[in-house]
Amino acid sequence: MNITIIITAAFVLGLVWGGLVFFLIRALKYEKKKLMNGEE
Amino acid sequence: MKQPEGKPEGKQEFFSSRWALIIATIGIAVGTGNIWRFSRVVAQNGGGSFLIPWVIFLLIWSVPLIIAEFAIGKSTRYGPVGAISKTAGNKFGWMGAFVVLVSTAIMFYYSVVTGWCLRYFFSAVSGGLFDTQQHFEYWQSFSSGYLPLLFHFISIALVSIVIYRGVTQGIEKVTRLLVPSLLIILLILFVRAITLPDAIEGIKYFFTPKLEIILDYKVWLNALTQNAWDTGAGWGLILTYATYMRQKEDISLNAALIGFGNNSVSIIAGITIFSTVFALSSVDAMQQISQSGPANTGLTFIYLPLLFAKLSTSSLVNGFFASIFFLALFFAATTSLLSMVELSTRTLIDFGLKRRKAIIIVAAAGFVFGIPSALNMNFFSNQDWVWGVGLILSGAFISFSIIKFGVNKFRTEIINGYGSDVKIGKWYNYVIGVLVPIQAVFLISWWLISSISWDPEWWNPFHAENLGTCLLQWGIAIFVFILLNKKIVDNTLRN
Repeated sequence: MNITIIITAAFVLGLVWGGLVFFLIRALKYEKKKLMNGEE
Repeated sequence: MKQPEGKPEGKQEFFSSRWALIIATIGIAVGTGNIWRFSRVVAQNGGGSFLIPWVIFLLIWSVPLIIAEFAIGKSTRYGPVGAISKTAGNKFGWMGAFVVLVSTAIMFYYSVVTGWCLRYFFSAVSGGLFDTQQHFEYWQSFSSGYLPLLFHFISIALVSIVIYRGVTQGIEKVTRLLVPSLLIILLILFVRAITLPDAIEGIKYFFTPKLEIILDYKVWLNALTQNAWDTGAGWGLILTYATYMRQKEDISLNAALIGFGNNSVSIIAGITIFSTVFALSSVDAMQQISQSGPANTGLTFIYLPLLFAKLSTSSLVNGFFASIFFLALFFAATTSLLSMVELSTRTLIDFGLKRRKAIIIVAAAGFVFGIPSALNMNFFSNQDWVWGVGLILSGAFISFSIIKFGVNKFRTEIINGYGSDVKIGKWYNYVIGVLVPIQAVFLISWWLISSISWDPEWWNPFHAENLGTCLLQWGIAIFVFILLNKKIVDNTLRN
């Protein structure tokens, strides 16, 4: 497979899917923290 | 320095948790545009060459505007009219009214689209969809008859019942069921598609960049348009749902999740469609994906049914995959339609009506004003054109209201205020105060100027898609709203 295809796929998927996973983990972390602090 | 002064919370309903809010808002963003428009636009704009600007505009258009809508809705607790009046000043309430009109006008014909998806789901389940090889004629016979009217009625009625039940018992319960189901169905279709022989050819095309295409300004404008249309940013819908988010809820992290979640779904849908078409198409696959067809339905309602019939030798298996595909489309359309109906209902509630009365008016208007689009494809195309471009103007009005309020004050006091998990830096001031307005001006100008080139009678307001019809319909709406501005704003804020 052409290297430019691999780079494009890595850029697009890394940013979009990677970004989604990154923000999801952060949101889960904050929610867990709130639960541990006794917040609803 | 004060925040825009919102309503006292009183009997206000709230989404029960962060996840309920995120799921409902993902439901707004993920619509039929992610599935059928995204694949077509990627094909028309050179595959991977399109994806690069599309990702960039996610960062400088969609996410900043979603943040803005969350912040305005949460801080003012009003629908678009009251929210923009409180943020930009009472003189600009007409801008909020325009935002409401655009989303409401889209709701009228989007209910028709939702009905089409439901009809095709039933056709796939019953096997009727595979009784014919002539899918263009099948579509023509369906769309030129009275069945779209029946399915339009069913769609608006179903959605109105959900909205009548309110935020937690209605929107939250239904989106908690439909959005995860939609994602599961898309993943099943995705796995099936990428495991087809030769699916890799479609995936290769999807990610192939061509330098000469990336340098074409039209590809960038199409990428911006796709972000403006399929994330729901700048429509006023997220702003409306944000009025039901709890005070302690975060803004920026939730907004990022919606933007990235929406575009992730688009990629899954895109890879699925490209893999399927390249694997099963006996003719030029690119031509099939690129074609618009009547009301942009060519790929979905005419070509994909042909491909589903070729999926395997078992009609049961083919019927199963076709059924779940159209069910996914129906779910995607329904969760977006919910937010449009809620926006109109919320606007009437802000005017002092009870939810019950408001939803009866919205449902009746939704059905009646959707009739012309259900029966006449030219009328449908006209409305899709006029209010589709109008959405970009809505985004510009939301950005304007923040500039009027003070971009830095908006960021530090509202976005980064109480409840925020993540603090947004100064970059946001430049993006929402400079980049978003520039993008809006470029995009509106480009679409309107292009419409001059494709219609010699570009000034004629009775043509379906040109400059004249846009200017006439927007002009009447804006003129009336400016004339009635004081009355609209007073009625909204008094209640």
